[in-house]
Amino acid sequence: MTFLLRALILGLTLLFFTFFYLYINEDKYYPGADFQTSDMPKFELYDLYSEKVINQDNLDGTFLINVWASWCITCRVEHGFLVNLSNQNIPIIGLNYKDEKENAIEWIERFGDPYKFIIHDLKGELALDLGVTGAPETFLVSNGTLIAHYRGEVNDMIWKDVFMPIIKKEGLFKND
Amino acid sequence: MKPIRKKRLMSVLLILITSALGSYLIIKALDSNLDFFYTPSELTDQEIPNNKRIKVGGMVLEGSVLREKTKIEFVITDYKGSIEVVFDGVVPDLFKEGSGVVVLGYLNEKTLYAEEVLAKHDENYMPPSIDIGN
Amino acid sequence: MLIEIAHFLTILSTGLFFLCFIFSFLLSSNDTNVINLVSKTYSHSFLLFVLSFLIYVYLAVNDDFRVLYIAQHSNINLPIFYKISSIWSAHEGSMFLWIVFLTIWGAVYNFFTSNNQPLKAKTIGVISLTSVGFLLFLLLTSNPFEIILPIPPENGADINPVLQDPLLAIHPPMLYMGYVGFVIAFGQSIAFLVEGKSEIKWEKQVRFWSLIAWSFLTLGIALGSWWAYYELGWGGYWFWDPVENVALMPWLAATAFIHSLSVSSKSSILRIWTLLLSILVFSLSLFGAFIVRSGIIDSVHSFANDPERGLYLLAFIGFLVITSLLLFSYRFSILVSNKRITSLSKESFISINNILFGTLIFSTMLGVMYPLIYEFIYNQKISVGAPFYNAIFVPITLLACIFMYFSIDSKWQQKLKIDLFKNPSIISSVMAIMVVIFVKYKFLISDFWTLASIFIGMMIITRYIFVIFDYLVLKKFTNIYSITAHIGLGLLIIAIGLNNDLSKERALNIQINDSDFYNNYEFTFDNMKLVSGPNYDSVIADFIVKDKAGNEFMLSPEKRKYFVRGQITTETAIHVTPFKDIYMTIGDQLDDGSWIVNIQFNYFIRWIWFSAILMIISGIFLAYSLSRKRS
Repeated sequence: MTFLLRALILGLTLLFFTFFYLYINEDKYYPGADFQTSDMPKFELYDLYSEKVINQDNLDGTFLINVWASWCITCRVEHGFLVNLSNQNIPIIGLNYKDEKENAIEWIERFGDPYKFIIHDLKGELALDLGVTGAPETFLVSNGTLIAHYRGEVNDMIWKDVFMPIIKKEGLFKND
Repeated sequence: MKPIRKKRLMSVLLILITSALGSYLIIKALDSNLDFFYTPSELTDQEIPNNKRIKVGGMVLEGSVLREKTKIEFVITDYKGSIEVVFDGVVPDLFKEGSGVVVLGYLNEKTLYAEEVLAKHDENYMPPSIDIGN
Repeated sequence: MLIEIAHFLTILSTGLFFLCFIFSFLLSSNDTNVINLVSKTYSHSFLLFVLSFLIYVYLAVNDDFRVLYIAQHSNINLPIFYKISSIWSAHEGSMFLWIVFLTIWGAVYNFFTSNNQPLKAKTIGVISLTSVGFLLFLLLTSNPFEIILPIPPENGADINPVLQDPLLAIHPPMLYMGYVGFVIAFGQSIAFLVEGKSEIKWEKQVRFWSLIAWSFLTLGIALGSWWAYYELGWGGYWFWDPVENVALMPWLAATAFIHSLSVSSKSSILRIWTLLLSILVFSLSLFGAFIVRSGIIDSVHSFANDPERGLYLLAFIGFLVITSLLLFSYRFSILVSNKRITSLSKESFISINNILFGTLIFSTMLGVMYPLIYEFIYNQKISVGAPFYNAIFVPITLLACIFMYFSIDSKWQQKLKIDLFKNPSIISSVMAIMVVIFVKYKFLISDFWTLASIFIGMMIITRYIFVIFDYLVLKKFTNIYSITAHIGLGLLIIAIGLNNDLSKERALNIQINDSDFYNNYEFTFDNMKLVSGPNYDSVIADFIVKDKAGNEFMLSPEKRKYFVRGQITTETAIHVTPFKDIYMTIGDQLDDGSWIVNIQFNYFIRWIWFSAILMIISGIFLAYSLSRKRS
């Protein structure tokens, strides 16, 4: 009788921890990650540095879109990792979000530029169509389709666990 | 020995029956008080019974907010599907067009009658207010 | 430079705490030299660690934005008080504080416990090991000492204005103090199991520490409830939010624990319960930390998440809990008492209530876990609503109160005998029935559960008034603090019942200079003004409220917009009367210039917190009286 009771207590506890172990190890445990695909929205916005108009046709192939702003401290933390990525020839397009032009340019001058080019989205129009809720956020885009979306800071771990699996599965960035 | 054994068996049985009954009542209470969470596109794809309380999460569509007295109507969308929401009361501070919300309410004729509107936010990623010269 | 020193000190003290654990468990603990060594090592390690925290506080006060965490959560313009509280406004810093409190409890225990206490060395060993586990968690997965390279920001960020509130700045520390306070009970139980000598009496000592920890936990929960009421603008005191639930579970377990302790500190019966509960309380506290910090549950309270943290915490907590349960199972025989519990004795009622509390904990756990399990299996998100918790908590709590009521007249190890003509129970029931009838017709209440709550609550209160009378007039010995705590319980269930039944709210659309009636009060929208605060702009609406008797008062709900994050917050306006709060918040302005405001009448809500305060004070005084008795 008491043996049964003890076994029950231990068994339930083990079950409890096993469940959480399994739960944490599931992919969906990254609440910031979203793998629903959708088409790249149409837009027309200026380049951060020039009066050049950029629209969806200027984007082709496979690349990342990184939403950032100079007021966002987490973006600064993320920045070093993005510079590393760009050094590995991963093309990144910056989407400067609700930011003043001068602040953004000064920021890039200070911390380095990992971006192929930067879209200046002062009012957050494109960001809204993309479903951005803040900064930083990062999208993986392949041939006009958004295939992954991560809300929050991208770092080594997020890159390995969230982006790499889908990159491998889809066979992206092979030509580089 | 015998009567003691019998007494023990009875008490074990009693414990088992009470705990089984208790668990049954708890699980029944749980089962009838679950709120299912849907995205707007899931609502357009699936049949949801009208009298069931549900939660729907998505973005408030720009330009969809209509107010009349204390009533407010708006559309929440996940850019694949959308649903009309009707609510009577004060919406939270962080509620605005283009921001994320979660609505708790009952579905009727493709309209969600809200009991509660919650704004979704992550404290780390709030943009500051800047003057956008129009 | 200072931040590197703080970082280094923390690493050093982690090493020392580990040594402390090794000394206490590997060397013979009966040797006084060993106990002295353990005690000294712990003190030194503790001092180094606290020094590290004080340096961190100094850096936060002096805006050292080289430190990433401070840069992310503090701002140059914040008042000093909030610069300090910004330390625990997010994950890394609050974990830091959590461990500081953990080690403080250990240090206080170490200081006040004499070295010839047989369980002292091992208890400190367990506390050290727990500290090491969390320190490694801090250093490896959530390092608050990280530095921004290359150039620090000039002004820092800003803490969330919702969190810029004096109450919120003290609510988490109180809660953490409560959570980690049970480490002493846990440590002593484990030490007792490791020693394996059933004659060691550890319950009396543990009772003192646990009562203090319980008081902190109660205070933390009550402050959180009060904060949500007036700052979040939700207008209630409890929302069955998952994070509230994970704080409630250790509280329930702790309440059952301190009651079991009062039994097993007198005789060795209920030792199994007591020991299991001590493990359960601490496990549930840790489980709360895990749930909040792994970001598994979406909630207003949740911290930014990182799976590695979750995994680490899960592994460490799993290790602690399973090891202690294995130990419990292995030493089961020393816990078994051959005394039987007399039916209808005080012990029997406490045992029954232990089972009922267990049911409450189980149900709460189910409510927290079920959405996770469901999502895991069916990949569909669900949540458990408040009606579930109400359906479980109301009847079980009332049942537990009834058993509590019977236990007033019962005696230790004796069958309950009530002499119907001499016992004040009859008078107390009559009084309770009269109150119920009065309330039913005065407030027009028809809900069975509300009336039942009032009846049972009144029974408890009136019955205890007789006991207090005996105590004061006839000088009959009683545990007066236990009585005040239970009167608090009686008040609590009455207040909750009435609040639930009577409270009402309504949204109002109103133009300036217009007025409207609600619940026999006239609300006149008098004025709207724009005001600039130190770091925000706000709009304030002035309402003149008039009751039937013509008494006037002013309510000025406010909406603030903070500069740094552009966040908008609602400041509620509350008019407090003994039996109800009139509670106003403002919403948005419509195109025609009118405003939407929300008016709530919250009945008896103050009594809920008042009863919590009564319980907290009783807990502290009881602990104090126990410590006086011991010395």
